[in-house]
Amino acid sequence: MSTKIPDHELALDHITVRFGGLTALDDVSLRVPAGRIVGVIGPNGAGKTTLFNVICGFVTPTAGEITLDGRAWRPRPHHLNRLGIARTLQGVGQFSGLTVLENVQVGIRNRHSRQPSERGWRESRHSGQPSERGEQGDWHSGEPSERGGQEGRHSGQPSEQGEHEGRHSGQPSRRGWRGGREKRSEQDALDALERCGAAEYAYEHPGALPYAIRKRIELARALASRPRILMLDEPAGGLDADEIQWLAGLIRDTDTTVLLVEHHMDLVMAVCDEILVLDFGKPIALGPPVEISANEKVTEAYLGAVA
Amino acid sequence: MTGVLQKSPTRSGQTLARRRRRVPPLVPIILGALLVLALTYVLPPFRNYQLATVGAYFTVTAGLTVLTGLNGQLSLGHGALMATGAYTFALAQNRWLSMPLSVLAAILTTTLAGVVIGLAAARLRGPYLAGLTLAVAVVVPSVTSTFDETFNSDMGLSVALDPPPGVVPMEQWQAWLCWAGALVTAFLLATLVRGRFGRDLRAVRDDETAARLAGVHVARTQVIAFVVSAACAGLAGVLFAFLAQSVSPGAFPLTLSLFLVMAIVIGGLGRLVGALLGAVLLVALPALAQTASERSGSQHLEGNLALVIFGVVLVVVMLAAPGGLASIHTNFRRKR
Repeated sequence: MSTKIPDHELALDHITVRFGGLTALDDVSLRVPAGRIVGVIGPNGAGKTTLFNVICGFVTPTAGEITLDGRAWRPRPHHLNRLGIARTLQGVGQFSGLTVLENVQVGIRNRHSRQPSERGWRESRHSGQPSERGEQGDWHSGEPSERGGQEGRHSGQPSEQGEHEGRHSGQPSRRGWRGGREKRSEQDALDALERCGAAEYAYEHPGALPYAIRKRIELARALASRPRILMLDEPAGGLDADEIQWLAGLIRDTDTTVLLVEHHMDLVMAVCDEILVLDFGKPIALGPPVEISANEKVTEAYLGAVA
Repeated sequence: MTGVLQKSPTRSGQTLARRRRRVPPLVPIILGALLVLALTYVLPPFRNYQLATVGAYFTVTAGLTVLTGLNGQLSLGHGALMATGAYTFALAQNRWLSMPLSVLAAILTTTLAGVVIGLAAARLRGPYLAGLTLAVAVVVPSVTSTFDETFNSDMGLSVALDPPPGVVPMEQWQAWLCWAGALVTAFLLATLVRGRFGRDLRAVRDDETAARLAGVHVARTQVIAFVVSAACAGLAGVLFAFLAQSVSPGAFPLTLSLFLVMAIVIGGLGRLVGALLGAVLLVALPALAQTASERSGSQHLEGNLALVIFGVVLVVVMLAAPGGLASIHTNFRRKR
């Protein structure tokens, strides 16, 4: 993974959220180091989604501080994309009047502030290959990734080169006058959809598609923005075992920082580096999966009785 | 994981075929301009006047369909915005007698009004937004009677106009100018809505939370949509003042605003073709009603028959083609 990591990319310090008399989050602190996959689990109503809403700026904490890259930060929802933070919604939040492709394109905005050394997935896709396209340099020019295991993902897919050919010749030249921005965003969106296994639905409307596919589209939209922090709110809901396995692979390979709220324990235990357990808004445990699964308090919170 | 990824079958050939082919907006605009130009030479004066009115209506319905159809903001106040443009145009024209200057002044004033209403509108949703814009539709005409020294109350103002250049008949000149305004508006709107901004508009309409998370500034998008739409209404107001050579509150009643919304719904929400069809109906249906009532010989019918016809058309179109007249073509293609 990337070498120059700041101590903590995102940090929550003593966050408390009260809705009237109800304390949704009680003194929750969480440090999310860059490149790590951090899970947030807990029974229903534990405050997991509220925690996400705090980070996204939908909920202003009653007390506590949030820091991003070591600086105090007041999150605003529409700034997240610019800052490289992408979040998926629990109930698939899609634009029913847009095609799947357009849905994903909404998440692609021109951000020039990106560092070339980012842990974006594009770099790893093109690992070892010098970038041939100058105009896409802003995100293509990353150093070759150190991660060698990426190649496996390409097996069975058209070769890198073939993909590039198709990209050039497949575009109708008619639209050339509009400049490359739109074309590039379309290609980025298609790539993201392909990565999430939903490319075949690109020109359909999401409302008519099965739930599991819409989940993939939601994921594609988040990935298409090439986030450095990916926040997934119950991404496995409604997916079958195969798909969850696929999702686990995807999460591990994103090569970004991931914050994951999930009920599906297998997934959480399989992918997370660190897990925060909430119960009625209180943090009851924080640690690597092995510790968490052995933690009595966690078992108690989930099963409701001392084992 | 690789195996699972391959699970989804690839039907890329089929997908590519389904991709929507997009025509650059300039092509239909130029064709439309040529068609209108040709028509103005063959049509009799009254038909030219009607053609000009269609152009004026198209200017406002095009802007309204972007606001309501693409951005999901319902405005019942566009008639009042037209009145704002028309009165500004009349006042400026009577003072300076310079068309470009007056048009600019009218559009600027309406844009400003659009900013004010749009800022409020961005905080309101659904019925509350409808209520606010409805209030605007009611208030603006009554302003003319409150400040009757400037606006001359119900009598309205006459608009000083330069005669058409050369030997061009008045009606033909009117048709040219109205359609120039309409087509320029349509071109600008089509260009604006084509790329990312259009996508943002629709994203905000469909799911504000998801749009916000995707990086769309929701309030800004809504205000811009309202302002753009208001500017179109302002230009349409100018064209109406230019057509009637006068402005009066009676020309911009509440029913006008309602008719505009009905027209874009019948035509097909969110589509410029729909806005055009709606504009045609706005001229054709009242004319039809008038002919019908003249045949029947009843004076009472005339005023109300247009409303009845409009209502019936709305119901029939919504039953037969819920996407509006503009969607019939696509539906037909899809069924085949």
